[in-house]
Amino acid sequence: MISPEELVGEEWAAWYRLSPLERWRESEKLWEIYFHLGGSLDTEPDTESPFFDPREPSTRTVNGRPGMRVLRRSRV
Amino acid sequence: MGGQACVFYGAAEFSRDTDLAILASSENLARLSNALRDLKAQVIAVPPFEAKYLRKGHAVHFSCHHPEALGMRVDVMTKMRGVDAFSKLWTRRTTISSYDTTIELMSLPDLVQAKKTQRDKDWPMLRRLVEVNYFANREKPTREQIRFWFLELRTPELLVELAVSQGRTPAQLIRRRPLLKNVGTANESLLTKTLRAEEEREREADREYWRPLKKELEKLRHSRASQSKR
Repeated sequence: MISPEELVGEEWAAWYRLSPLERWRESEKLWEIYFHLGGSLDTEPDTESPFFDPREPSTRTVNGRPGMRVLRRSRV
Repeated sequence: MGGQACVFYGAAEFSRDTDLAILASSENLARLSNALRDLKAQVIAVPPFEAKYLRKGHAVHFSCHHPEALGMRVDVMTKMRGVDAFSKLWTRRTTISSYDTTIELMSLPDLVQAKKTQRDKDWPMLRRLVEVNYFANREKPTREQIRFWFLELRTPELLVELAVSQGRTPAQLIRRRPLLKNVGTANESLLTKTLRAEEEREREADREYWRPLKKELEKLRHSRASQSKR
């Protein structure tokens, strides 16, 4: 039998092994951290979506958080 | 039915919007309007929030202005390509409770159908959703689960493992999913190729499904733009 680790690696396998409710709770923790760090609920434009309208103004700031700026960026 | 449902079933998505599949009856739309009013939600973009657009397959998009949900996007849909009618989705739903709130999630097989879109990001997620279900249940699977995996697994190695464990691939499933005829050969590179072709066909079917709807959206945008100029 193929193990999840063989197929998707340790990190994903650990996520796979959680029960649905455990995954839900882990996700809630991540949301708390995200909001604690000032994360916003504004969505990123989904350019592949059939609903996407390039002319529609976005309320979202470029870096996802008001007052947040890119201080360093890799060249890639 | 969106990102949080994917998290529950095993994929990992950080989705900031809330996707709702609803029954587009007038009574239900009135209830939803009240809930959206509580969230101080306003329709953004097109189409307007009307049953006729939802029944055609459009999604209606809202942005919330309530301080506790500021900027949250809510997308409402009632009809999705390849997905059963709402009444069937409702009977198959998963219900969970979180902080005294009941949340109704689309069933995994229905979510998998809904995710067969033209977007790149949906396909790796779809693969993970079925993989997680397979790993969690392969020791003692039900007939429904075996059928679901034969029809929806997108991982060549697991499709081969499934075929070996079952001894044969049922003929009626091969008719539904022709690439299954390659599963018995254990030729994973051929399977990979046919899975890719299957994905491309689904993505094209989704683009085709959306072509007239996108035209209609474009018309609505034009008419809205010309009204706002007046």
